[in-house]
Amino acid sequence: MTWARHRGRAALILVGGLLMGAQLIRSARINPPVESDLVAPVEIKRILRDACYDCHSNETEWPWYSRIAPASWWAHSEVLEGRRRLNFSQWDAYASDPDTIAHKLQQVAALVRTAAMAPWPYRLLHARARLTSAQRESLIRWATQEIPPRAPHPD
Amino acid sequence: MAKSGLSVLVLCAAVVLGAAAAADENTPEIKMASGRFEPAQLRVRANIPFKLRVTNTDQVAVEFESFELHRERVVQPGETITVYLPALAPGHYAIFDDFHRGSTAEAAIVAE
Repeated sequence: MTWARHRGRAALILVGGLLMGAQLIRSARINPPVESDLVAPVEIKRILRDACYDCHSNETEWPWYSRIAPASWWAHSEVLEGRRRLNFSQWDAYASDPDTIAHKLQQVAALVRTAAMAPWPYRLLHARARLTSAQRESLIRWATQEIPPRAPHPD
Repeated sequence: MAKSGLSVLVLCAAVVLGAAAAADENTPEIKMASGRFEPAQLRVRANIPFKLRVTNTDQVAVEFESFELHRERVVQPGETITVYLPALAPGHYAIFDDFHRGSTAEAAIVAE
């Protein structure tokens, strides 16, 4: 019994020590300058800001848990990956290739339709990212309408 | 008179052929197959916008993607697409096949 209690205490100290040590490995919470923000209707912009901009723009509102390891590591990697995949703060960078814009908008519509976006752990922690059916429909309609027609590029 | 007409014709032909050659030179090509690019390092001229022709020589769809170039395009088997790219600063721009991420060999567009 005593031996089991000692082992339990040792495990707690070990976990506590690891958590404290983890705080020394800090992730930089950086918001690069906005180069060319997406232009969209006010209602759409509000939905995107609430549900998407934390990971898909340079205007991340870093949450409280992004200060505490190991959650901070997860938050940091999610934001970096999100910005790489789609960054609304660099929208014009996609614009010189209309088919890339079309592909991005198709993905937005598909991921919102299947509720794959925003990801469920993010929705769990951020009430504003829990979109209503009407908001999802608005977003899907907007993304679909914005897809440029397949036309020859102006050379 | 006929001689000067011929000269004008030759000059026009030279201009047209020169322009076509310049256009070809500025339309580099790359082939993709299951995460591999041919050539793996595509050299292009820096500071000049260009069109990149991407051909999928595989039997399955591939995805031409580059985070640095902000491009993402699906290419169906046997299809050739044109990717429009802006003037690039000299440098190394990584490209990959997002549908074969695990097997993507290192590839890049090198602007110089």
